[in-house]
Amino acid sequence: MSTPTVRFASALAAVLAVGCGSASLRGPAFKDDWQDDGGRGIAAVAAKLSGAHVAESKGFVVGVTTSGLVGMGLDGSGRWTHPGLPDSRPSIAGGVVVYTAGGKLVALDCANGRELWQVDVGNDKRLRGAGDDGSTTVASIAGESGGRTLVVAVSRNGSVIQRWKPDPDVGVPAVLGNIVFAPWDSQYVSALDVGDGSEVGRVLARNVVSRAVAIGGSLYFGENALVKFDAAIASASRGDAHVVKLPERELPGKPTWFPSGVQALPVAAGAPDAIRFYARPVERDGKLGLDSQRFAATYFRIVVGFNESDAALKWTRTLPAEVIAGDAASGGFLFCDVTGAVWFTDARAGGASGKVSLGTPLKACVVSAGSFSVPMGSDSGSLTAQLSEAIELREEQMATIQRFLLRELGTNESDPSVTKTLLDLASDARTQPDVLAEARTLLAGRRNGVEYMLGALERHYDFLSDVLRPPPVGPLADALAAIGERRAAPLLAAHLNDPADTPNDARHAAHALLKLASPSELGAVRTFFSLYHSTADEEDLIAAAVDAARILVQLGGAEGASVVERAARDPLTVPAVREAIASLTPNMKSG
Amino acid sequence: MIRRRYRPRLSLALAVASGLALATPALLAKPKHEAQPKVESTRLDIPALKKQLAGSEQEVVAALGTIGESQNPEGWPLVNEVLVRGGTEAIVEEALKAAGKLKSPALSASIAPYVQHRTPEIRRAAARALVKTKGPAAVAALSKALRSGDASVRGTAATGLGELGARESIKDLFNAFDHGVGEAAAAIGQLCKPEECEDFAQRTGRVTFDVMQTGFDQILFRPASEISDDDKLKLVGRMRELGTVEVGKYLADVGERWPKDWSKKVKQAIDSAAHAAAAGAKK
Repeated sequence: MSTPTVRFASALAAVLAVGCGSASLRGPAFKDDWQDDGGRGIAAVAAKLSGAHVAESKGFVVGVTTSGLVGMGLDGSGRWTHPGLPDSRPSIAGGVVVYTAGGKLVALDCANGRELWQVDVGNDKRLRGAGDDGSTTVASIAGESGGRTLVVAVSRNGSVIQRWKPDPDVGVPAVLGNIVFAPWDSQYVSALDVGDGSEVGRVLARNVVSRAVAIGGSLYFGENALVKFDAAIASASRGDAHVVKLPERELPGKPTWFPSGVQALPVAAGAPDAIRFYARPVERDGKLGLDSQRFAATYFRIVVGFNESDAALKWTRTLPAEVIAGDAASGGFLFCDVTGAVWFTDARAGGASGKVSLGTPLKACVVSAGSFSVPMGSDSGSLTAQLSEAIELREEQMATIQRFLLRELGTNESDPSVTKTLLDLASDARTQPDVLAEARTLLAGRRNGVEYMLGALERHYDFLSDVLRPPPVGPLADALAAIGERRAAPLLAAHLNDPADTPNDARHAAHALLKLASPSELGAVRTFFSLYHSTADEEDLIAAAVDAARILVQLGGAEGASVVERAARDPLTVPAVREAIASLTPNMKSG
Repeated sequence: MIRRRYRPRLSLALAVASGLALATPALLAKPKHEAQPKVESTRLDIPALKKQLAGSEQEVVAALGTIGESQNPEGWPLVNEVLVRGGTEAIVEEALKAAGKLKSPALSASIAPYVQHRTPEIRRAAARALVKTKGPAAVAALSKALRSGDASVRGTAATGLGELGARESIKDLFNAFDHGVGEAAAAIGQLCKPEECEDFAQRTGRVTFDVMQTGFDQILFRPASEISDDDKLKLVGRMRELGTVEVGKYLADVGERWPKDWSKKVKQAIDSAAHAAAAGAKK
């Protein structure tokens, strides 16, 4: 976690400077020839608002259905419905839900769905997002195809206090104490006076800023990292503000923490909504970090929890339906799925800690945790069990995350049940090809779970018993040979002559038998050699035939050697085999 | 134990698989007094053949051809040696053909591993050869082959197990039949005890009649000592209930093939059912 040292001295200097001549820092909003004032203007704003907190709601969820909106409190209270059909994704700002429809900007009370106000914003306008401080709502609205930004501040009684029509695209704004914070041009946050519309300060950030968000009573600006609005904000242009970033973690689908605030999100949720990061910044011991030291990632039905400090996987949770929205709360995460259920997940261990339901299928969902606190979850089982559940989901869409989880599972080298999970996957005809390949690779590296491995090798393809995928003989052969497990020899020998196993499996079985075989396996090895020394038509079978010859020489005494010698002299033996076995016996070496 | 029974000239199951018309008399079960004529074997020059079998691929194939055509039992050790030693695809296929022609049970053990060969043509040829060489090793190998991933091998194995009278495989044959191995129908018909035949017949309606018919035909033409006339009457009654043109044609054909010295009561039931099915279908 990046937590820069706060340069309080510089911030303090800036505040003092503003205190002496703040009037000179006021100017037109969104000026594009603005010169960096060293943070003096924004420092003054921060100083003015230092005691102010954005009022937090108790936490709400709002869903978009085919017939309108449905909402309720995260505590399960006050379910309501509203017939309005939004034309872009609604936004929850404090205790207000805001949406655009038919040229109107509409605000509802999140607690009961009652309409608070509606104002004209012009046809073809789409809501990008909104903020609210308990008395004023501010919204950024775009034209249907982007551009033509309108930022509007509306009082609780519905009167429009201020309108801005800037040239640049403005992202999701926030408001606090009569100051609107409007992010734009990916790097600026303009602090605008609601009263006269002027700009009273500006943040020049070193991270991408397209939204201002209120979390835990504080304001943050950013997109893939959040810079906190506090006294250190004046140092943002020098990279010295309080910034919270998620550790780098390469994940399937490349999840984002927040989508770009300058895009009006479509009404219906899509894949980007299902593939997201969630984290809640908190200040801890004077430093900015993440609540519960965890962040979570969603991938459709699978949710994964990571440790803040090293991004290590801590838990996974498999949900019954696709997640389309969520939020990070105190102590946990809230995931809203397409069925309208909101699942509470304990941040530390990923345990289930409750659920509320909107009771109807959703096109889209918006969750705002507010001050809602997720209680400690129920026992969620071992990480291996959690990973196994996620990996064993038979959904094609899940293959990418399952491969990722498999690799994570494979890092647990001490737990034999990991071997079992890998075996189950590798033996199941329904396993996706990519997941199968990964499971086989990991199995070859296992050094425990021997009993599971031997049990798997006892199985063969069997049409009548519906065993339609043979066990992963090759990886098991590698693993058992590395362990030196001689009990595997008869089982591997039986697989050597099973045409349902791949030639590559046969190759690995033969190679393992070089180390593990006893004279009891000579019959099967000799059969294999007889069948393939003249018919092996691919590299794997050639290599297997050569290893079979080695075993015959090694364990078969004179009879075994004579079989090999005869094949070495036989012009009908496959040339590559003949060449490789040409000098395996003393007679052949001398002859 | 391998028992003699009425055998079709060509496996009905294979006929189904190849899409031949089922009513063709040559493909149906026949009474045992029409057994195939015995073929005389020819003499073999064993030393010369041994020399030839140590030669080029062409020479080995030619020698195996000679041994097979001779149908001389003295040739089996030579074929056995080739099978144990192994060889190219052409050699192995010819060896399996020769083994099938020699019909020596002593060859079954060396043919058996080839049913598991990775080359489909070889394992299919091996399964076919085992049906001819017979013996316990053949039954064991064909039982295993019934579980194969190769549909053709499964079909041949099912047919073979029926022809070899492998009663011990009846459960597996039912399992195979329920897994869509149509060839198992005829085998079940050849092997079933009356209650098992009834169990088979209960699949009528769930499985198409052209497949069921291959099993029914075997049951109807088994001697009364194995399947009683009452059981045959029950079976005819079950077919009559279907009342389709297909059933009518089939039963008419059965009536024509019915041995004159066999049960008149059953014959009458067959004729009546054939007539009723034909009349019902016209309506």
